[in-house]
Amino acid sequence: MVMGLIFAIGVITFCIGALGVLIRKNAVVMFLCIELMLNGANMLFMAVSKFKGLIEGQVAVLFIMAVAAAEAAIGMAIITAFYRRRGGIEVDKAELLKW
Amino acid sequence: MGADVLHIIIAVFLGLLILVSALGVVFLKNPVHSALSLLANLCITAIMYVALLSAPFVAIVQVIVYMGAVVVFVLFVIMLMDIRPADITERFLTPRLFLSLAAVVVFALQMLFVVATVKGGWIPTKYVHAGDLAKLLFTKYALLFELVSVLIFAAAAGAVALAKKRM
Repeated sequence: MVMGLIFAIGVITFCIGALGVLIRKNAVVMFLCIELMLNGANMLFMAVSKFKGLIEGQVAVLFIMAVAAAEAAIGMAIITAFYRRRGGIEVDKAELLKW
Repeated sequence: MGADVLHIIIAVFLGLLILVSALGVVFLKNPVHSALSLLANLCITAIMYVALLSAPFVAIVQVIVYMGAVVVFVLFVIMLMDIRPADITERFLTPRLFLSLAAVVVFALQMLFVVATVKGGWIPTKYVHAGDLAKLLFTKYALLFELVSVLIFAAAAGAVALAKKRM
Protein backbone atom coordinates (compact mmCIF):
# COMPACT_ATOMS: atom_id res chain seq x y z
CA MET A 1 0.00 0.00 0.00
CA VAL A 2 2.76 2.45 0.97
CA MET A 3 4.76 1.16 -1.97
CA GLY A 4 1.92 1.83 -4.38
CA LEU A 5 1.42 5.32 -2.98
CA ILE A 6 5.07 6.26 -3.40
CA PHE A 7 5.18 4.85 -6.92
CA ALA A 8 2.06 6.86 -7.79
CA ILE A 9 3.57 10.05 -6.33
CA GLY A 10 6.72 9.57 -8.42
CA VAL A 11 4.82 8.87 -11.64
CA ILE A 12 2.47 11.82 -11.17
CA THR A 13 5.35 14.18 -10.35
CA PHE A 14 7.07 13.08 -13.54
CA CYS A 15 3.88 13.66 -15.53
CA ILE A 16 3.31 17.13 -14.06
CA GLY A 17 6.86 17.99 -15.06
CA ALA A 18 6.25 16.72 -18.59
CA LEU A 19 3.06 18.80 -18.76
CA GLY A 20 5.02 21.86 -17.72
CA VAL A 21 7.63 21.27 -20.43
CA LEU A 22 4.84 20.98 -22.98
CA ILE A 23 2.75 24.01 -22.05
CA ARG A 24 5.16 26.63 -20.71
CA LYS A 25 6.97 29.07 -22.96
CA ASN A 26 9.41 30.51 -20.46
CA ALA A 27 12.73 28.70 -20.90
CA VAL A 28 13.67 28.94 -17.22
CA VAL A 29 10.38 27.40 -16.13
CA MET A 30 10.79 24.65 -18.73
CA PHE A 31 14.17 23.95 -17.18
CA LEU A 32 12.59 23.82 -13.71
CA CYS A 33 10.02 21.36 -15.04
CA ILE A 34 12.84 19.15 -16.35
CA GLU A 35 14.26 19.15 -12.83
CA LEU A 36 10.81 18.15 -11.60
CA MET A 37 10.80 15.19 -14.01
CA LEU A 38 14.22 14.11 -12.78
CA ASN A 39 12.94 14.35 -9.23
CA GLY A 40 9.99 12.09 -10.03
CA ALA A 41 12.34 9.54 -11.59
CA ASN A 42 14.53 9.76 -8.48
CA MET A 43 11.53 8.99 -6.30
CA LEU A 44 10.80 5.85 -8.32
CA PHE A 45 14.43 4.75 -8.06
CA MET A 46 14.39 5.27 -4.30
CA ALA A 47 11.10 3.42 -3.89
CA VAL A 48 12.33 0.41 -5.87
CA SER A 49 15.58 0.51 -3.92
CA LYS A 50 13.65 0.38 -0.67
CA PHE A 51 11.11 -2.22 -1.58
CA LYS A 52 13.48 -4.61 -3.32
CA GLY A 53 16.19 -4.18 -0.67
CA LEU A 54 18.82 -3.07 -3.21
CA ILE A 55 21.29 -0.22 -2.71
CA GLU A 56 21.93 0.17 -6.45
CA GLY A 57 18.87 2.39 -6.77
CA GLN A 58 20.39 4.96 -4.45
CA VAL A 59 23.66 4.86 -6.40
CA ALA A 60 21.64 5.60 -9.53
CA VAL A 61 19.99 8.52 -7.75
CA LEU A 62 23.39 9.95 -6.86
CA PHE A 63 24.48 9.72 -10.50
CA ILE A 64 21.25 11.37 -11.64
CA MET A 65 21.89 14.23 -9.24
CA ALA A 66 25.42 14.69 -10.59
CA VAL A 67 24.18 14.72 -14.18
CA ALA A 68 21.39 17.14 -13.20
CA ALA A 69 23.96 19.53 -11.76
CA ALA A 70 25.99 19.38 -14.98
CA GLU A 71 22.81 19.90 -16.97
CA ALA A 72 21.91 22.92 -14.84
CA ALA A 73 25.27 24.53 -15.63
CA ILE A 74 24.91 23.97 -19.38
CA GLY A 75 21.23 24.89 -19.49
CA MET A 76 21.67 28.14 -17.61
CA ALA A 77 24.64 29.06 -19.85
CA ILE A 78 22.51 28.45 -22.95
CA ILE A 79 19.62 30.48 -21.51
CA THR A 80 21.97 33.35 -20.64
CA ALA A 81 23.46 33.37 -24.15
CA PHE A 82 19.96 33.17 -25.65
CA TYR A 83 18.74 36.07 -23.53
CA ARG A 84 21.72 38.16 -24.55
CA ARG A 85 21.08 37.58 -28.25
CA ARG A 86 17.28 37.73 -28.41
CA GLY A 87 16.37 39.93 -25.47
CA GLY A 88 13.97 37.46 -23.89
CA ILE A 89 13.68 33.92 -22.64
CA GLU A 90 10.45 32.91 -24.35
CA VAL A 91 11.11 29.88 -26.52
CA ASP A 92 8.97 31.45 -29.27
CA LYS A 93 11.92 33.70 -29.93
CA ALA A 94 14.03 30.71 -31.01
CA GLU A 95 13.28 30.60 -34.71
CA LEU A 96 16.63 30.03 -36.37
CA LEU A 97 15.79 26.46 -37.35
CA LYS A 98 12.05 26.99 -37.70
CA TRP A 99 10.65 25.54 -40.92
CA MET B 1 -0.47 -2.79 12.12
CA GLY B 2 -0.36 0.62 13.81
CA ALA B 3 2.98 1.53 12.25
CA ASP B 4 1.67 0.57 8.82
CA VAL B 5 -1.32 2.90 9.10
CA LEU B 6 1.03 5.63 10.27
CA HIS B 7 3.21 5.10 7.21
CA ILE B 8 0.19 5.35 4.93
CA ILE B 9 -0.92 8.58 6.59
CA ILE B 10 2.58 10.06 6.22
CA ALA B 11 2.74 8.96 2.58
CA VAL B 12 -0.64 10.54 1.75
CA PHE B 13 0.25 13.79 3.53
CA LEU B 14 3.69 14.16 1.93
CA GLY B 15 2.30 13.07 -1.44
CA LEU B 16 -0.37 15.78 -1.39
CA LEU B 17 2.24 18.40 -0.51
CA ILE B 18 4.52 17.15 -3.29
CA LEU B 19 1.75 17.24 -5.88
CA VAL B 20 0.56 20.71 -4.87
CA SER B 21 4.07 22.13 -5.05
CA ALA B 22 4.66 20.39 -8.39
CA LEU B 23 1.50 21.97 -9.80
CA GLY B 24 2.77 25.27 -8.43
CA VAL B 25 5.94 24.93 -10.50
CA VAL B 26 3.89 24.51 -13.66
CA PHE B 27 1.03 26.93 -13.14
CA LEU B 28 2.55 29.91 -11.31
CA LYS B 29 3.21 32.71 -13.75
CA ASN B 30 6.20 34.36 -12.13
CA PRO B 31 9.40 32.29 -12.65
CA VAL B 32 10.62 33.19 -9.16
CA HIS B 33 7.47 31.68 -7.64
CA SER B 34 7.99 28.58 -9.79
CA ALA B 35 11.55 28.23 -8.54
CA LEU B 36 10.46 28.62 -4.92
CA SER B 37 7.74 26.03 -5.47
CA LEU B 38 10.36 23.65 -6.85
CA LEU B 39 12.41 24.34 -3.72
CA ALA B 40 9.44 23.28 -1.58
CA ASN B 41 8.95 20.19 -3.73
CA LEU B 42 12.59 19.11 -3.34
CA CYS B 43 12.48 19.76 0.41
CA ILE B 44 9.38 17.62 0.89
CA THR B 45 10.93 14.92 -1.28
CA ALA B 46 13.98 14.91 0.99
CA ILE B 47 11.66 14.59 4.00
CA MET B 48 9.98 11.63 2.31
CA TYR B 49 13.36 9.97 1.73
CA VAL B 50 14.11 10.15 5.45
CA ALA B 51 10.64 9.39 6.77
CA LEU B 52 9.55 6.57 4.49
CA LEU B 53 12.41 5.31 2.35
CA SER B 54 15.11 5.14 5.08
CA ALA B 55 17.77 6.92 3.03
CA PRO B 56 19.20 9.77 5.11
CA PHE B 57 22.37 10.18 3.06
CA VAL B 58 20.55 10.67 -0.23
CA ALA B 59 18.20 13.11 1.48
CA ILE B 60 21.16 15.19 2.67
CA VAL B 61 22.73 15.11 -0.79
CA GLN B 62 19.38 16.18 -2.24
CA VAL B 63 19.25 19.16 0.12
CA ILE B 64 22.84 20.19 -0.63
CA VAL B 65 22.96 19.59 -4.39
CA TYR B 66 19.42 20.31 -5.55
CA MET B 67 18.15 22.86 -3.07
CA GLY B 68 21.50 24.41 -2.28
CA ALA B 69 23.12 24.49 -5.70
CA VAL B 70 20.74 23.99 -8.60
CA VAL B 71 17.75 26.05 -7.45
CA VAL B 72 19.93 28.88 -6.14
CA PHE B 73 21.74 28.87 -9.47
CA VAL B 74 18.43 29.17 -11.32
CA LEU B 75 17.36 31.97 -9.01
CA PHE B 76 20.59 33.83 -9.77
CA VAL B 77 19.92 33.54 -13.49
CA ILE B 78 16.34 34.75 -13.04
CA MET B 79 17.72 37.69 -11.08
CA LEU B 80 20.11 38.51 -13.93
CA MET B 81 17.24 38.37 -16.46
CA ASP B 82 15.47 41.24 -14.71
CA ILE B 83 11.91 40.12 -15.48
CA ARG B 84 9.29 42.78 -14.85
CA PRO B 85 5.66 41.99 -14.11
CA ALA B 86 4.74 43.57 -17.44
CA ASP B 87 6.85 40.98 -19.25
CA ILE B 88 4.79 38.05 -17.97
CA THR B 89 2.17 37.63 -20.65
CA GLU B 90 1.77 33.88 -20.60
CA ARG B 91 -1.72 32.42 -20.64
CA PHE B 92 -2.61 28.83 -19.96
CA LEU B 93 -6.14 28.26 -21.27
CA THR B 94 -5.17 27.45 -24.83
CA PRO B 95 -5.90 24.36 -26.97
CA ARG B 96 -2.30 23.37 -26.37
CA LEU B 97 -3.01 22.87 -22.67
CA PHE B 98 -5.78 20.37 -23.34
CA LEU B 99 -3.86 18.47 -26.01
CA SER B 100 -0.79 18.24 -23.76
CA LEU B 101 -3.01 17.23 -20.84
CA ALA B 102 -4.52 14.39 -22.88
CA ALA B 103 -1.09 13.09 -23.89
CA VAL B 104 0.26 13.33 -20.34
CA VAL B 105 -2.79 11.62 -18.80
CA VAL B 106 -2.49 8.71 -21.22
CA PHE B 107 1.20 8.41 -20.35
CA ALA B 108 0.44 8.60 -16.61
CA LEU B 109 -2.16 5.83 -16.84
CA GLN B 110 0.26 3.61 -18.73
CA MET B 111 3.02 4.21 -16.21
CA LEU B 112 0.69 3.65 -13.25
CA PHE B 113 -0.38 0.37 -14.84
CA VAL B 114 3.27 -0.63 -15.19
CA VAL B 115 4.26 0.23 -11.62
CA ALA B 116 1.15 -1.54 -10.29
CA THR B 117 2.66 -4.81 -11.47
CA VAL B 118 5.90 -4.40 -9.49
CA LYS B 119 6.20 -7.08 -6.87
CA GLY B 120 7.97 -6.46 -3.59
CA GLY B 121 7.33 -6.15 0.08
CA TRP B 122 7.54 -3.54 2.77
CA ILE B 123 10.99 -3.88 4.29
CA PRO B 124 11.17 -2.63 7.89
CA THR B 125 13.43 0.32 8.56
CA LYS B 126 17.03 -0.49 7.69
CA TYR B 127 18.85 2.77 7.09
CA VAL B 128 21.28 2.99 4.18
CA HIS B 129 24.14 5.14 5.42
CA ALA B 130 26.99 6.77 3.53
CA GLY B 131 29.29 3.84 4.22
CA ASP B 132 26.98 1.32 2.59
CA LEU B 133 26.72 3.50 -0.48
CA ALA B 134 30.47 4.15 -0.59
CA LYS B 135 31.23 0.43 -0.54
CA LEU B 136 29.27 0.05 -3.77
CA LEU B 137 30.21 3.38 -5.30
CA PHE B 138 33.96 2.96 -4.98
CA THR B 139 34.19 -0.69 -5.97
CA LYS B 140 31.59 -1.73 -8.50
CA TYR B 141 30.83 1.69 -9.92
CA ALA B 142 34.26 3.31 -9.48
CA LEU B 143 34.80 3.81 -13.21
CA LEU B 144 31.36 5.37 -13.57
CA PHE B 145 32.14 7.69 -10.68
CA GLU B 146 35.32 8.93 -12.35
CA LEU B 147 33.50 9.37 -15.64
CA VAL B 148 30.88 11.53 -13.90
CA SER B 149 33.66 13.74 -12.57
CA VAL B 150 34.97 14.15 -16.14
CA LEU B 151 31.42 14.96 -17.27
CA ILE B 152 31.00 17.67 -14.65
CA PHE B 153 34.37 19.16 -15.54
CA ALA B 154 33.44 19.22 -19.22
CA ALA B 155 30.07 20.77 -18.38
CA ALA B 156 31.69 23.52 -16.33
CA ALA B 157 34.17 24.32 -19.11
CA GLY B 158 31.36 24.27 -21.68
CA ALA B 159 29.22 26.57 -19.56
CA VAL B 160 32.03 29.11 -19.33
CA ALA B 161 32.58 28.92 -23.09
CA LEU B 162 28.85 29.28 -23.83
CA ALA B 163 28.22 32.20 -21.52
CA LYS B 164 31.16 34.30 -22.74
CA LYS B 165 30.35 37.64 -24.30
CA ARG B 166 31.85 36.93 -27.73
CA MET B 167 31.14 33.51 -29.11
